[in-house]
Amino acid sequence: MTQQFVTGPGHGEDDSAEDPTAQGGQTFASVQGSDDLLDEIDAVLETNAETFVRSFVQKGGE
Amino acid sequence: MRRRVGGLETELGLVCVRADGSRALEPEAAARELFRPVVAMGRSSNVFLRNAARLYLDVGSHPEYATAECDDWWDLVAQDRAGERVLADLVDQANVAFRERGEDARIHLIKNNEDSAGNSFGSHENYLVDRRGEFTRLPQHLLPFLVTRQIITGSGGVVTEEGGAARFVFSRRSDQMWEAVSSATTRTRPIINTRDEPHGDPTRFRRLHVIVGDSTMSEVSTHLRFATTDLVLRLIESGRSLDDLRLQDPITAIRAVSRDLTGQAPVALEDGRTLTALEIQRRFRAQVERVADDADAEVLETWDRALDAVETGDRSWAATHLDWAIKERLLTGAAQRHGLALDSPQIQRLEMAYHDIDRGAGLFFALQRRGQAPSILPEERIEAARTTAPTTTRAHLRGQVVTAAQEAGVDHVVDWTTLRLSRQGAMPVQILDPFETENAAVERLLAEIRAAGA
Repeated sequence: MTQQFVTGPGHGEDDSAEDPTAQGGQTFASVQGSDDLLDEIDAVLETNAETFVRSFVQKGGE
Repeated sequence: MRRRVGGLETELGLVCVRADGSRALEPEAAARELFRPVVAMGRSSNVFLRNAARLYLDVGSHPEYATAECDDWWDLVAQDRAGERVLADLVDQANVAFRERGEDARIHLIKNNEDSAGNSFGSHENYLVDRRGEFTRLPQHLLPFLVTRQIITGSGGVVTEEGGAARFVFSRRSDQMWEAVSSATTRTRPIINTRDEPHGDPTRFRRLHVIVGDSTMSEVSTHLRFATTDLVLRLIESGRSLDDLRLQDPITAIRAVSRDLTGQAPVALEDGRTLTALEIQRRFRAQVERVADDADAEVLETWDRALDAVETGDRSWAATHLDWAIKERLLTGAAQRHGLALDSPQIQRLEMAYHDIDRGAGLFFALQRRGQAPSILPEERIEAARTTAPTTTRAHLRGQVVTAAQEAGVDHVVDWTTLRLSRQGAMPVQILDPFETENAAVERLLAEIRAAGA
């Protein structure tokens, strides 16, 4: 299998084949995605964070 | 060894809370609930799965998943990710059961290495090494590599210094290390554990047990841990003369390296020289060229990129690929946005959510869905790894036996080296070569299982 995504965009051999409009679309999508993401992050922060953290205590393992 | 077998054991944190975040069940009770389907199927809370991995409850009620033997590090990443999904399914089943019983309780499994009281649990890497190699030479060269490896493979986190200042570090695990090499795991935890259970012919193999690593969420980080360590082992095993980078004090060094996000603070070597963590990593990276082949090109390139990210401070690639940098952006961004201290409970909660293996609740997966964390393995490969063992190692044999026995409803007992039926007088089949993939005795055992189930 190929793992070309490890090196990310800019290192693939078929870079030149990228459709610039598709790239524009991706940028737009990721900005939208970031907004949802911030909401998701904030929901975690704001929902009983301190109580949850205190609840996560367990004997050690290993 | 050009071909090497490795495996990854992951212990997870377990917390069962009510909707208000308070504790609903003690870890012991939550673990029993979580493992109910496992015990129902395997009559034990210690079972081997169809993918030849081991699933069990470890000390402290930590669920533990040990991947099958892998000789390809992407296979290992797939097996590890598949294990998260197996465990996430158990979490779902337990949470559905709570709901159906009208109980206000929800289990979270956190794939990190420390609870909020500082109790630790591990992510233990195993590498098969040749018994004939000089094991005494191995730690001397491997330790400087492992002490500095965290600048690429650490999962990042926040530590609070004695003076009260909180800071972001490459690896909180570094503060849990107390010795360079020893036989302990729970107290005075070492970087390399000398436990020598080769799970194979002890005259040919020994096991290298590396317990310094952080549990990693990013497939790139997990892959780098194994692929770079394997390259360094090959270099040491090649017997070539190597630059002696022995550290004056590995434990002081590992903590200092963790705290130095520039990678450029001096680290004292035993011979009086000083090098930076970046320089030490670059030397290993350069030296492994001598043992690398075409198949390693991609790992070497990723290793370079990871070191460049530290050296230049340009996080653009690392912040979407490597755990420590993804988490640095996540935690420092949220702290700034909300005016919170890095060691506030809110940021701690965020860090736990990053390691939550539930694909709905886990923030790593939320980032992954938006392209802000890597998604390297195709979905089909991860799903296949839930029920299919790696085909190039002994795991292939174990996986076939477990699968056939489960399908036929035949009681069986297996471990890493032995396969047998539970019925009295059944002859065990022992496989002491971890590379063996075909075996006449296993074929006979499979025929017997199918006949018994027919």
